[in-house]
Amino acid sequence: MITFEGAAKIYPDGTVAVAHLDLTVETGKTTVFVGPSGSGKTTSLRMINRMVEPTDGTVRIDGADIRGRNPAQLRRAIGYVIQQAGLFPHRTVLDNIATVPLLLGWRRRRARARAAELMELVGLEPAQAKRYPHQLSGGQQQRVGVARALAADPPILLMDEPFSAVDPVVRTSLQDELIRLQQELHKTVVFVTHDIDEAVRLGDRIAVFRPGGELAQYDSPERLLAEPVDAFVESFIGYDRGVRRLSFFPARGLSLREDVVFDDEDRVERARSVVAGDGEPWALVVDSARIPQGWVSAAQLDRAPAGVPLGSLELAPYGHTFDVGTDSLRAALDAAVLSPAGRAVGVDDEGRVVGVVSQDDLGAAIWSVSE
Amino acid sequence: MDILNELVAWFSDPAQWTGPAGIPARMGEHVYYSLTGLLISAVIAVPIGLFTGHTGMGGFLTASLANFARALPTIGVLFLIVLAAGIGLAPVIAALVALAVPPILVNTHEGVRGVEPRLKDAALGMGMRGGEVLFKLELPVATPLILIGMRTAAVQVVATATIAAYVGVGGLGRYIVDGQARQDLTMMLGGSVLVVALAVVTTLLFAGLRRLLVAPGLRAEAAAAR
Repeated sequence: MITFEGAAKIYPDGTVAVAHLDLTVETGKTTVFVGPSGSGKTTSLRMINRMVEPTDGTVRIDGADIRGRNPAQLRRAIGYVIQQAGLFPHRTVLDNIATVPLLLGWRRRRARARAAELMELVGLEPAQAKRYPHQLSGGQQQRVGVARALAADPPILLMDEPFSAVDPVVRTSLQDELIRLQQELHKTVVFVTHDIDEAVRLGDRIAVFRPGGELAQYDSPERLLAEPVDAFVESFIGYDRGVRRLSFFPARGLSLREDVVFDDEDRVERARSVVAGDGEPWALVVDSARIPQGWVSAAQLDRAPAGVPLGSLELAPYGHTFDVGTDSLRAALDAAVLSPAGRAVGVDDEGRVVGVVSQDDLGAAIWSVSE
Repeated sequence: MDILNELVAWFSDPAQWTGPAGIPARMGEHVYYSLTGLLISAVIAVPIGLFTGHTGMGGFLTASLANFARALPTIGVLFLIVLAAGIGLAPVIAALVALAVPPILVNTHEGVRGVEPRLKDAALGMGMRGGEVLFKLELPVATPLILIGMRTAAVQVVATATIAAYVGVGGLGRYIVDGQARQDLTMMLGGSVLVVALAVVTTLLFAGLRRLLVAPGLRAEAAAAR
């Protein structure tokens, strides 16, 4: 547990980096400090490992004032990941990762064995051990940065905008990787970002900072999106917070229609009778393994001659699907919006169709969870 | 092409290659003076440069001193010291040191100071202490620049060590000074060729040192940046 008690950082020239911070970071959780630049989020983070000394107030780790600890020793017990990784250009990947264990006086062989373990943990190929940082992509460098921070198995991990310098695709994969790691390791992670989406994805708790170094709101991501405390937080979160909040509701609860899903061997007249029966404008065609093939419209079914298999008709693309077991309402809504049929295709973890849901039904489901 | 033939003849004369006035002896003296001057300069300049670069203290002073020293005419320094201290090896070495310290000092200072702030931040954040930051990060990263400073200094020292002859302590400068006195162009040219050859060898040696001392990650990085 990390506790800020009235922590402040005011520079001699009067600049206020952090005005007055009272905050408790829970052990084993990911806490995200988010805010625009100049809001004091990075300064607050750097107070934890004494890279910044507060001018007022106290920072405690598990109840003990960190001023009682030697800065170098304190820092060796806290993982530190920075933007663009900050890897040492003269050291190989393996030796970069072994930095802190070596500082702690481990034997080289043991430190390197540990580094190799971590490379595997963060998804780096063993062949990259002997490479130098400049030979790696930005994403790989940041994986090394995370491995380096974890090398001495510190209980706390500080991450200062670690993924902001990589492209969005790589960033998403690094975020996934961090979520996976955290499920395995349960570190006390403090993560700084200016990206609210990243904060919502990663954080168990989110602290929103406002310019002038004040804490505006400290809440779970779900509550933050549902109930921003004031106009600043609301505008910082962004206008589509309602849609984003749907990320927290599983798609599992949706009722999917199975009766409008047909095999591509089925005859036209079979689909026609079902579809015409209740005025459903679209039917989904799947193959024998229940992998989606595409949509066929009621009008097409009317025109098609009897006896023809559905698979031989011209099918509209089904867009992308959502996983009924793991995806959220947001993913389902997105799939429905992008589908030419206005319907989302729900699949199981092997991509087999479970059923389809229309935008109307989704709307009703969203309405019920938003209440 | 007369002069070329004469030069070949000068170098082929067996008498040229033996005795205390022979090429090997003169070359030995020259290398000895150069090496001594360079080593003393490095021992003075590298620690000061590391200190000022690491702490950021005295950066302006370092640059000013170095610029001032650069502007000094070496031969003037030599005669000044000879006048003050008398004829001998010491004034020669002192003049060479005055010449070699500035490039080494400036490059060491700049090399250390130029280490990216985020690398220093990472080093401190991981729990390195000042000395560890200096020796595990700043010095290795600054090594290429320090070596360039030393190479510049070394080539200048090799070229300038010829002044030793003016105060009668030998070296390859003897051929140039004596040749001038005797109006012997071939001898002067022979001495010059030897000095140039030694400077080239010095440059090659530093290329080798670079391979030996600079981490492969930095060598390739520099190559990629070019």
